[in-house]
Formats: sequence, structure tokens, C-alpha cells
Amino acid sequence: MPNPPTPTRVKPSTLAKTLGRAVIVALLVLLALTFIFPFVWQILISLSALTDVDLLTQTGFPPALQPENFITIFQRVDLARYFFNSFFIAGWVTILQVITCSMAAYAFSRIQWPGRDKVFLLYLATLMVPAVVLMVPNFVVVLKLGMFDDYSGLILPSAFSAYGTFLLRQFMLTVPSSLDEAAAIDGASHWRIFTTIMLPLARPGIIVMAIFAFLFNYNSFFWPLIITKTANLRVLPVGLLQFESSYGQETPLIMAGSLLAMLPPIIIFLVLQKYLVKGIQLGAVKG
Amino acid sequence: MIGSKKKRVAIAMMFLLPNLIGFLIFTAGPIFFSLYMSLTDWALTKHNEFSTEPIRFVGMQNYQRLLVGDESVFFWDYLGNTIFLMIGIPISIAGSLALALLINAKATPQAPRIRIRAGVIALVIGAIVTFFAWLATTPGPLPDPASPLLEMSAEVGLTDKSLFEVARLRSISFTLITAVFSLVIALGLIVGSVFFRTVYYLPSLLASVPMFLFWKTLYRPRGGLINAVLDPALDTIQTIITSTPRFLWYALGIALWTAAIIWAFRLMRSGINKLVHKDAGAAAFIGRTALVLTMLITAYGVGAVLVQAPQQSMLRSGFTSLDRSQTQTIADSLAAEFPTADTAELNLIARNTDGSSPDDAARFFATALPDDALPRTRTIARAQAKPLHDGLTSGDGLTSPEWLLSPSWAKTALVVMGIWTAIGGANMLLYLAGLANIPPELYEAADIDGASGWQRFVHVTWPQLAPTTFFIVVMSVIAGVQGGFEQAMVMTEGKADTITLSYYLYNIGFSDRFELGLACAIAWVMFAMIFVLTIFNFRVGNQLTND
Repeated sequence: MPNPPTPTRVKPSTLAKTLGRAVIVALLVLLALTFIFPFVWQILISLSALTDVDLLTQTGFPPALQPENFITIFQRVDLARYFFNSFFIAGWVTILQVITCSMAAYAFSRIQWPGRDKVFLLYLATLMVPAVVLMVPNFVVVLKLGMFDDYSGLILPSAFSAYGTFLLRQFMLTVPSSLDEAAAIDGASHWRIFTTIMLPLARPGIIVMAIFAFLFNYNSFFWPLIITKTANLRVLPVGLLQFESSYGQETPLIMAGSLLAMLPPIIIFLVLQKYLVKGIQLGAVKG
Repeated sequence: MIGSKKKRVAIAMMFLLPNLIGFLIFTAGPIFFSLYMSLTDWALTKHNEFSTEPIRFVGMQNYQRLLVGDESVFFWDYLGNTIFLMIGIPISIAGSLALALLINAKATPQAPRIRIRAGVIALVIGAIVTFFAWLATTPGPLPDPASPLLEMSAEVGLTDKSLFEVARLRSISFTLITAVFSLVIALGLIVGSVFFRTVYYLPSLLASVPMFLFWKTLYRPRGGLINAVLDPALDTIQTIITSTPRFLWYALGIALWTAAIIWAFRLMRSGINKLVHKDAGAAAFIGRTALVLTMLITAYGVGAVLVQAPQQSMLRSGFTSLDRSQTQTIADSLAAEFPTADTAELNLIARNTDGSSPDDAARFFATALPDDALPRTRTIARAQAKPLHDGLTSGDGLTSPEWLLSPSWAKTALVVMGIWTAIGGANMLLYLAGLANIPPELYEAADIDGASGWQRFVHVTWPQLAPTTFFIVVMSVIAGVQGGFEQAMVMTEGKADTITLSYYLYNIGFSDRFELGLACAIAWVMFAMIFVLTIFNFRVGNQLTND
């Protein structure tokens, strides 16, 4: 391309600028619609009567709204139980992870002890091993410890996260050490420093870790599928799939059930969006 | 420091132990245990409380079975499926970057006052448009007997519903679409980029069984939303193709091929130059070669579609999947042909291969037969299936694919869904963070040099985002090798040739055979693949970021 003798910057006119912005906004809106419309469609299916589903693509709207689908699904399948299980398991995993990981992170970031860095390196090394490698041996461990088909088998294996420990250690390293040194001079014990200084200051990191832990375990499917047998222990993904494979033609009920199952993550995300976005972006900087 | 060395260790252990014990039992220990298990013949069907048979150490036998032995036909096929699903990775990464750039352009008004004013105006206009959309489409009090809807309703089989009713529903639907459209514009203007970021992110947040169940309904060949949209679009394309001269399509296809070859040639020439002059290392060269090959294959595919378009044989490949009676016929003819075979086992395989593609079924049948029987079983199985007519064409022209039911389209369906879910997910957020970190001086300098928008992107944005891209590629490859299980389990139950390596591991370890040793070997082969790919990514990444 031949260069003009004096490189002057050509300012785009205001009209061209406005037009460019309008095109971008139009693209943003169209893309947003490709993500929103499928969910609107799902809501329409979930509100249809079974006999109207097949015609929905022709009419675009169900002839009669049937919101009672959202109650019927609770009668047809033990959805309340699955909800309880999912919340119970994801909740316990989150609580236990927060406790064990924050304590371990404190030991790795604030206490000097021989061999500390070697043990931490072991933690780091396991982060590189993919989850599938752990699946089979953990299955055997759970069998041998008598935790098969039991809440403990669903909760305990996920309660000690190397990733969470790593994340919180990185977070605690950013807390200035002058704070706990001052507390130590005043005679505070490690436990006191941990609970009164470190935990409050590391709160954003802990919230990020807790959201990750909860969402991951709420959505988890493979492990609950292989580790449970009885219907009472089914979590939402397993229970919904079970219902679908037995009553596949009952599309409105299946859609109602899966919409309900999607609600908690949506609410969590909308409320805690600020932390979650920060957390995801933090992961890359550290990685 | 507080306390003596001994006391410090004690305190540290108090903090560490709750985590360390769990870590050793459920993470560190199992890794070594898994390595050991992969070298044994451990199977829950043989080694359980009802038997005393000892677990035997078999050395590398499991790995040998997978890579060259009796399991290799499955392993390499499922590896192929896994790689097929990973095609979505580069597409969705490029998409994530595009979304991040669009959001980052800050095209919506920034000042709060203007934002609210623009949003309110958009809301008012939207409400008015929605009202008129309803007014214009609503059928009114009495259906017109001469309405074209009469024909339409007969066409779609709505004989028992009144025309009036159909028109009313379509009107509501149209009004609803308009309302959602207006609402999105208004919210986008008021809330700004956070609104779009949230909407784009939601699918990846929900990418689990409930959402896969929903996509399964979208993919229904009849009555699913995707084909309802695709059918009229394909009809239009069909009309265009048949009403244009044939040579135009040949010319387009050949032009695309020529352009691809020229571009590939130029890319390779500059790659070789860089390699010779030591501007870039061998790994970067291999990466470039892989990119060029991908590009050539894609161009070949698209070109082939264009060239073949007028002949209506577009993308027709493969076979329909087998049903239960067909698999039974295969079993019967194989039993007749191989008198030594175990008929009961053949019948069992016939039951299990219901719904699979003829080639998959052939591989399963061959496991019950002498070693060299595979070509013969394949012939017999293919003879049972019909050549595929659900590609993009049937006898009468373009038709929508059968998606999840068709062995040649099911993986594509999973890839499309994967792109839809991943494109606005964590990768987009990472790119947004990366974009925010680019120093504005760089753009100012580029502006002074008179750089165009594309040059700004190539010389400032893309190199500055290299570390982010590198991180995303590494993480996506690690996830991709392990992926595909949930989607296939929910949407196809492993039928239609959608079994990936993780699904294979599930089948071997937890579903029908309980061969834990072999399952561990699969996991370690996957780990080896991830390891090699990650090392490769690191080398390419290092060379590219140091350029």
C-alpha cells in the first residue's frame, strides 16, 4: 500500500461513527436474542399441554397455557427430593471446602514449617492430573470405605479441593503480612489471627471459591451417577435424566423440571455476578 | 515468627491436616493407585465379595489391548469422535474473542443520563411497535373464509383446530417476539455492556443435564425448533440453486479452492522463511502447518458442497442407523456364516447395537467372531442399512438433517450446541479482562501511524491478547480430551456414533463391564494425550509470545 507523504489521521465523521456504533449495538442485540430465544421457547414448551407440543413450531404459541405443569412435575417424580439432595450435597461440599481449604491455605501462606514448599508442590502437581484419572480409584476407595450409595460418598471426595487451596493461598499471599505480625506481637495465637484477620480479609477470595464449588457440584453428573443406586439419593441431573428416559414423550413436564433446575444457578449468578466474573478473570492471571 | 520450630510444625499441621488427609485419600493417593490399577486385570465382575480370585498383575496388557489389541477398534474410533467434537474449540474461541471485542467497543451510551433517556425512548417505541405488531397480525373478530390460512392449515395438519385459532396464536407469537426484541434493546441501552455480558454468559453457566435435555427437544427432526427454522431456509436455498445456472456453483467452488491453495501456499512460504531465518521455532512451524491443513480441509469441504449443490447429492454419506430387526438379521446371517460363533453372544450384541451405525455394529459383532471377520461383518451390516438420505438432501432436494438420530449428523449437532454454550462463557470473560489490560498508549501510537481498524487488531490487540489466548487454548484442550460424556449420555445415549473417550471409560468401568483396570488404562492414555498436547501448546505459546 503506497504511503501518503504526510501520515495524517483521517477522523471519521460523526455520522459514520454513529452508524458504526448502531451496527455494533444491532449485532449485540441479535446475538443476545440467539441466547435468549431458546429459553423463551423452553418456557413456552413448559407451559403447553402435552397434545399441543407437536404443533408448537407451527403456531408459535400454545393454544392454552398450562402452568400447572410446574406442579404436576413434583407429583410425577420426586423432584423435591432431588432438589433437596442437590442443595444438601452442593451445600455441604461448599462448607467443607471453605473450611478445609482456607485452613490449609493459611498453613501454606502464613506459617513457616520445614517441607512446606514440597507439600505445596505436590498439591500443584495434582492440579495437572485430569479428573477422569481420579474417577476409577475414587470409586474403589468409596466402595472400600463403605460410602457407596450414601451421602458421604457424594460429599467427602469433593470436600478437599487442591484447586481451592491453591486459589485461597494465592489470595492470602496478597494480604499484607504486617497485619498479622502486629497481632502476633500483641500475643494473638495463629487461630486468632486466622479467624479475626485472615478470614475477613480473604473474604472475596472465599466467596469466589464457594461459588465455584457450589455451582460445580450442583451441576455435577458423572460422579453421582456412578456412586448412587437408590432413587432417594438421586441429584437433580440424574433424577431428571431418569425421568426423561422413562417418560421421554412428556416434553412439557421435562422442560418444566429442567427450567426449575436451572433457576438456582441463574439466581446465584445474578446476585453474585461481580465476584464470579472477578474470580474467573483471576484464574487466568494466576495460571 | 511465633513459637519454636516444633510448635510451629504442630500448629501448621493442625491447620493443614483436615485438608491433607482428604487430599491424600481422594486425590494424591488415587493417582498412584490408579497407575497401579491400570497394570492389573481388576474387574468387579471377577473380583468381588463372592469370589476369591486374586487380582493379577498384567503389566502393559491393558494398554496393549487399547492401542493395538482387541479394544483398539473401539479406542481409535472413539478417539476420532473425541477429536471431531474438539473441532468446536477453535470456532468457539474465535467467537468468544469476537463477542468480547463487540462488548468492549462500548457502543452503547456511557453517560447515565443518556443511557436512561435512550432506554426509555426505546421502551416507548418498543411498546408502540409491539402494539401495532399485534394489531397488524391479529385475525380480528371473524375469520375470513377466503383466507390463505385455509390452505396453510391443511398443509400442517391442523384439521381439528379452527383457522381463527391458528391465526390468533401466530399473532400472539409474533407479538411476543417483538416484545422480547424491544425489551432486549431497551435493557441493553439502560444497563449497557453488563447486560450483554450476563446474557452471553448464562448458557455456559447452565451447561448441564437440564440444558442438554432442552437441546434434545430443539434437535427433534420434526417438531423441534431448529428444523422448523431450517426447513424454510433450505427451501429458499433450494429455489436459488435450481434457478441459477449450474456453472456458477462450479465456478464458486473452484474459486474457493484456488483461493485456499494460494493462501495456504503463502502462509507456508512465510512459515518456512521464518523457520530458515530462525525467526520462529519448529513448534510454531508445526502449529502453522496444522492451521493451514485445517483451513485446506475446511475449504475442500465447503468447495465440495458448492460444486455438488446443483446435483442434489450434497453431503450424502454414510448409512442410516440400524433398528432392532436389522441387527437381529445381521446376527442371524453371521451365525449361519460362522458356525463356530456363539449364537447367544451374537443375539446379545444384536440387542445392544439397536440404533447404532452399521460400522459400529460391525465392530461389535466382530468381537464375537474370529479375528479377521471384521471386513465381512461390515459388508453384512452395511447391506442391512439404507444409504443415508437424511444428510442435507433427499430424493427431492434439500431437507433438514435428522440431527441426533443420524450417525453422520449427531456429532455436528453436539459441536453446534457446544459452541452455543461455550462462546459467551469463561473464555469471553477472560478476553474481556485481557482487553481491559491493553495499555491505551499502544492504540494511540497506532492511530498516529494511521493504522486501520484491522491493522490495529492485527498489530496491537491480537499480540497483546496472546497470553490470554494461550491460557484459553491450554484449558480448552484439557477439557476437550475429557469431554463429551454428559452430552452424549443425555442426548443420544451413546447411539449415532457419539461415544467419546470419557463415555468409553464410563462404559468399560461403570456401566456394563466393570473392568476397572482397563478403565484406568483409558484414563492414563487420555492423560498422556493431554500431557503431550499441553507441552506442545506451551512450546508454541512460548515461541509465539516471544516473536
